[in-house]
Amino acid sequence: MGKQEDFVLRAIEERDVRFVRLWFTDVQGFLKSVAVAPAELDNAFDEGIGFDGSAIEGFARVYEADMLAKPDPTTFQILPWRGEGPATARMFCDILLPDGGASYADPRHVLKRMMSKAADLGFTFYPHPEIEFFLLKEQPAAGAVPVPVDNSGYFDHTAQGLGHDFRREVITMLESMGISVEFSHHEAAPGQQEIDLRYADALSTADNIMTFRVVVREVALGQGIYASFMPKPFTQFAGSGMHTHLSLFEGDRNAFYEAGTEYQLSEIGRSFIAGLLRHSAEVTAVTNQWVNSYKRIIGGGEAPAFVCWGHNNRSALVRVPRYKPDKGQSTRAEVRSIDAACNPYLSYALLLAAGLKGIEEGYELPAEAEDDVWSLTDGERHALGIEALPQNLDQAIKVMESSELVAETLGEHVFEFFLRNKRAEWQAYRRQVSQFELDSMLPLL
Amino acid sequence: MSPSPRRSPSPGRLARIGLQDPAADRHLATLELDESARDLVLDQIAVAADPDAALAGLACLVAAVATVGHGQAASLRTALVDDPQLLHRLTAVFGSSRALADHLRTHPEHWQDLRSATPAPPLLADDEGAAADPDGLRVAYRRRLLLIAAADLTGVTSVDHVAASLSDLADATLEVALRQAQAQLPEQAARCRFAVIAMGKCGACELNYVSDVDVVFVHEPSEGASEDEAVRAATRLAAAMMRICSDHTAEGTIWPVDAGLRPEGRSGPLSRTLAGHVGYYDRWASSWEFQALLKARPAAGDPDLGRRYAEAVDAMVWRAGERPGFVAEVQAMRRKVVEQIPSEQMGRALKLGPGGLRDIEFAVQLLQLVHGRGDERLREQSTLRALGALTAGGYVGREDGAALAEAYRFLRTMEHRLQLWQLRRIQVVPDDDEVWRRLGRALGHRTKPVIGLRSQWQECLREVRRLHEKLFYRPLLEAVAALPAGELRLSPEAARLRLTALGYDDPRGALAHLEALTSGLSRRAAIQRQLLPAMLGWFADGPDPDAALLAFRRVSERLGTTHWYLQRLRDEGEAAEQLARVLNSSRLATDLLMGTPDAVALLGDREGLRPRTTQVLAREMDAAAKRHVDPVAAIEAVRTMRHRELCRIAIGDVLDVLDGDAVGEALTQVTLATITGALAVATAAVQAEQRRPLPVRMAVVSMGRLGGHELGLASDADVMFVYVPIVGTGERAAGAAAHAVAQEMRRMLARPGAAPPLELDAGLRPEGRQGPLVRTLASYAAYYARWSQPWEAQALLRAEAVVGDPEVCARFTALIDPLRWPRDGLDEHTITEVRRIKARVEAERLPRGADPAGQLKLGPGGLTDVEWTAQLLQMRHAGRIPGLQTTRTVAALEAAVAAQLLDRDDADDLITAWRLAQRLRDAVMQVRGRPSDALPTDLRDRAGVAYLLGWSVLDSERVSDEWRRAARRARAVVDRVFWA
Repeated sequence: MGKQEDFVLRAIEERDVRFVRLWFTDVQGFLKSVAVAPAELDNAFDEGIGFDGSAIEGFARVYEADMLAKPDPTTFQILPWRGEGPATARMFCDILLPDGGASYADPRHVLKRMMSKAADLGFTFYPHPEIEFFLLKEQPAAGAVPVPVDNSGYFDHTAQGLGHDFRREVITMLESMGISVEFSHHEAAPGQQEIDLRYADALSTADNIMTFRVVVREVALGQGIYASFMPKPFTQFAGSGMHTHLSLFEGDRNAFYEAGTEYQLSEIGRSFIAGLLRHSAEVTAVTNQWVNSYKRIIGGGEAPAFVCWGHNNRSALVRVPRYKPDKGQSTRAEVRSIDAACNPYLSYALLLAAGLKGIEEGYELPAEAEDDVWSLTDGERHALGIEALPQNLDQAIKVMESSELVAETLGEHVFEFFLRNKRAEWQAYRRQVSQFELDSMLPLL
Repeated sequence: MSPSPRRSPSPGRLARIGLQDPAADRHLATLELDESARDLVLDQIAVAADPDAALAGLACLVAAVATVGHGQAASLRTALVDDPQLLHRLTAVFGSSRALADHLRTHPEHWQDLRSATPAPPLLADDEGAAADPDGLRVAYRRRLLLIAAADLTGVTSVDHVAASLSDLADATLEVALRQAQAQLPEQAARCRFAVIAMGKCGACELNYVSDVDVVFVHEPSEGASEDEAVRAATRLAAAMMRICSDHTAEGTIWPVDAGLRPEGRSGPLSRTLAGHVGYYDRWASSWEFQALLKARPAAGDPDLGRRYAEAVDAMVWRAGERPGFVAEVQAMRRKVVEQIPSEQMGRALKLGPGGLRDIEFAVQLLQLVHGRGDERLREQSTLRALGALTAGGYVGREDGAALAEAYRFLRTMEHRLQLWQLRRIQVVPDDDEVWRRLGRALGHRTKPVIGLRSQWQECLREVRRLHEKLFYRPLLEAVAALPAGELRLSPEAARLRLTALGYDDPRGALAHLEALTSGLSRRAAIQRQLLPAMLGWFADGPDPDAALLAFRRVSERLGTTHWYLQRLRDEGEAAEQLARVLNSSRLATDLLMGTPDAVALLGDREGLRPRTTQVLAREMDAAAKRHVDPVAAIEAVRTMRHRELCRIAIGDVLDVLDGDAVGEALTQVTLATITGALAVATAAVQAEQRRPLPVRMAVVSMGRLGGHELGLASDADVMFVYVPIVGTGERAAGAAAHAVAQEMRRMLARPGAAPPLELDAGLRPEGRQGPLVRTLASYAAYYARWSQPWEAQALLRAEAVVGDPEVCARFTALIDPLRWPRDGLDEHTITEVRRIKARVEAERLPRGADPAGQLKLGPGGLTDVEWTAQLLQMRHAGRIPGLQTTRTVAALEAAVAAQLLDRDDADDLITAWRLAQRLRDAVMQVRGRPSDALPTDLRDRAGVAYLLGWSVLDSERVSDEWRRAARRARAVVDRVFWA
């Protein structure tokens, strides 16, 4: 038993923890949880807790169902919404095979493998997400139209705003779980909120996003409302994304920064962004994994539907934010396609893979897009060499199928499962007769 | 004293002494000595490491002393004559260290310290000059260094003592530097109590002449000071102190102080409070940091604080062994030692590389970490003392321990001598004969310094490597040996602990095997005692050490009495290592080996592992068959030879002597020779029974993988039998005779026996299993003309008639060529038919419930996919393109590329997947000893496959990942090329 495990066991004693939830994430990005009594933790740390992997979406081939969930003691936190009295805690787990080797089906392992590749090249990868979501008045019921909790807009400060209280409670809980929040505000659409997490290494950030989704849902339930990370719940309002700022560090130094260059962007930064752009279509099925994700992307406005980059351009897929003097450490690239309903482990692994590929192969960064890309004609975009991202899940699947980058990063098992799963989703979706068809055609045809 | 008339010594004498510098004469004159005094000096110079440097240094010193005052020079001259110790020390120092010669030239008064009568200078800590300012400290430091070097070079002290003195000097220097820093920063000094902890070599009291001094800092706020103020103050003090030690001025430098081992490394605060340190190690530290703490020792500053630090840390270090993953890390460390990559500096690097200083230090630390938890006597900081404790405790064999200590001392002495010359931190001997000569002389090789040193060093490296291999394992044998009572040995508990650390899951079982293998007085037990220490290490590198040890015991019990076996293993170093690899990775090869004891002779003989040529095989089998009249004995001889050849191939595959398609080719040749032999034996048997010559001429046609020269270790042999009746024979009699021969062949080869059976599968014949086993050539012609299905033409693509009657073979080939390679290719209907059959095969033949992705043969991108793609191309185009007229899959695909029927990239994807599938099927057969067309689902088996393919045994998922990747790419090509 090591120091960190000791620390966890002591904390459990001192804080009167009665249950420990062991968390892990399936391939689609859903959180899975198994509760164990503190007495079982010793064993969990040593050998892991056995479970039937074939019962988890995307985990196991039938014949090797036995898997182990081994808690990562550095992720130990008390769950704040369980109130006073006997406490409940959680730890994230790594998924292992019975021989102790990592399971390639574990999204956490996919990200770890990519991070260690970055480390071999001397880099540490820091994502920093801005998570958007909607607060609705009621739990969704079949056929019902969702109603947002308020009618405010971007940065609105509402005196008795429900959202305000809501954000305060969420942030308090996140901070109590060791997750730092940088920024929060009301977003453009009614009921829409944004909370930005402080940057951390990619694994912690992905863990934090998983925790964040739980915290937001719990707080909403506690306040009698409902929170949703669905990318585009309203036809008429903007959707919820998860813009993510990315940076690479070499030791203490931001590898994207170079004084005196355009936007203080180093050659490494330029190749990284070139990699993000060149492979953006291939990774879209993962960063925007639901049929609904594409309704946000093709919705116009600020949604990034075209593969280009810009400086102050809010329609670009990748934006290089304004450089703050004396803040060389803050040079970064903001990817704007990704949404909050993705599997963060897989998504960040792929963004990192795409960027590193750009660095390794020395991709040239294309010219910056200075115009609002939505306002250009198809012909103009063609002339500028700006291509569109996949327009729906089917297109995204097709591009991903032939992507070696995605297959190598996810590993063959996850790659195969993911595609199978998404094809099924698309099949189910396209058989549906939609409200749009009923409204516009039934009266006429 | 006025100088007496001098006569120069002859040039010959100077050369004999080793003086080569033309300036030697002039230097000698500068000394102004009379003849007898000069001889005294020359005698001493003759034994210096570098005589020229010794003489030049002496001359410079005399000149420098003269500038201080004439009286001084005179008293130095007198002393040189009267005080042989002084002369010895001076020439030794000058001959070995240009840097110290320079020091004496700038500070000539320090020569007095080297006189025998001079009392030692005050301790550095009490030296007023040193305390005054940083330059004073630098001078005082060098002055003490001079004394240590003089004692070292004149053989008064041992290398361990020198290292300890250097560490003491470092402590004192740190102390004085700290006091100066405190004097420079009085406000800061008042805000905190402060201590310097030595780590690394300094902490272990085994410092070199020149190296970074590793430290960490600890502080406590003084009364009234806040935590914040204290940490700022301590940081400034630490920085100031480090600067004093590492700055370069006219007085040179001392050494760099490195605080990189502190908590959080370079990103952590320079100094922490005691609670800060403890908190960090309690929660965050990783295993290597605890290893570093092994050497922590208070060196300077507040003694009380330093002591409390040491106590707090000590309690934690030895609990480190309880950390999870500790065992895995121990193993990783061990591999690191073993796998250190030989650099271009190979043969010149003292520290790194196999047999170097680091190698020894690692081995010792590893044993300390494994056993130090339970045995406090092992908690020593210096390498030599720890090694002594390990030896005294029975954890290391007594002779091994002594030899290792001797090697370590030799290497450290060499390192010291190397550094002393310029006081530079070097660990690689420059590629410069001058340096080698000086070093060689310094280490006692007077006559042939360069060659002498090189060979001594080589021997030392070899010795360390040899010891290293056995260090871990030899005591394990002693633990189970029947030693006289009272003899020191590893306790059973400690032995189990060590086996576990090395990756044995069942240490009790392993000890039982060791006992069985080594007990007794037999020659076998004696040789195994010699072999096992190394074997245990090799097993530990494999996927399943327990199983490999058990296999060794089985092999040894089976073969131990054959003289081949033991002789081979004892005399050929490589043979034992190769046997270990076979036992580690292959149940198949192990079983084959046990059945053919003389195959042990193949181990250690890379050439012998190359497959035999067909002619040689056929000749041997033929001769073997003919030696016996009795058909049973004859076929047994053939099968025994096949057994030996299979063994050769299986071992060659494990040891990577055979690459890629070579295994398939070799197996095909052996099988063809075996069938040829069986045909001869069966013919003779039938003739004997029917008492007349065989009324037919027969041939055996290779089909399937045999015809394609693509057999795997698990493959059967697909064949068809064809005959031509001899003119004048009745049809029925001929048919019965041919049938009897074919049946006899199949029976004799398939019968269970000592040698592995060979199944002759005739299922691909016309009408399949419903059809007659043998047909005449005419019958084949009639059948193919009337009834043949596309699948039969497809099967004929891999038909090769080479066994049996040559004329029958040739006529059969002429018969089938137009069928399998139709001049006009295939019509659309037939192409569709082929595709439909393929679709049905895919749907029906895959095992139910199995994951198709794990199926190497029938799964997507598997063997069948690739072969059908090649075969469809062949049937459509081989009539026009002679290159496609081949029975071999890879050759067909290459020909398709050449004929521009297939893209290069597509062909590469197909060939890669096909070869990997073949390789994996063979690997599965090797690991399990049973055939399977699927990737193993059992994790142990999968780790075994990973090991055979040269991947990490801890990454068993990689096997499936690599296969799926290759298969996915191949399947994409099949979709385009076959189905399109």
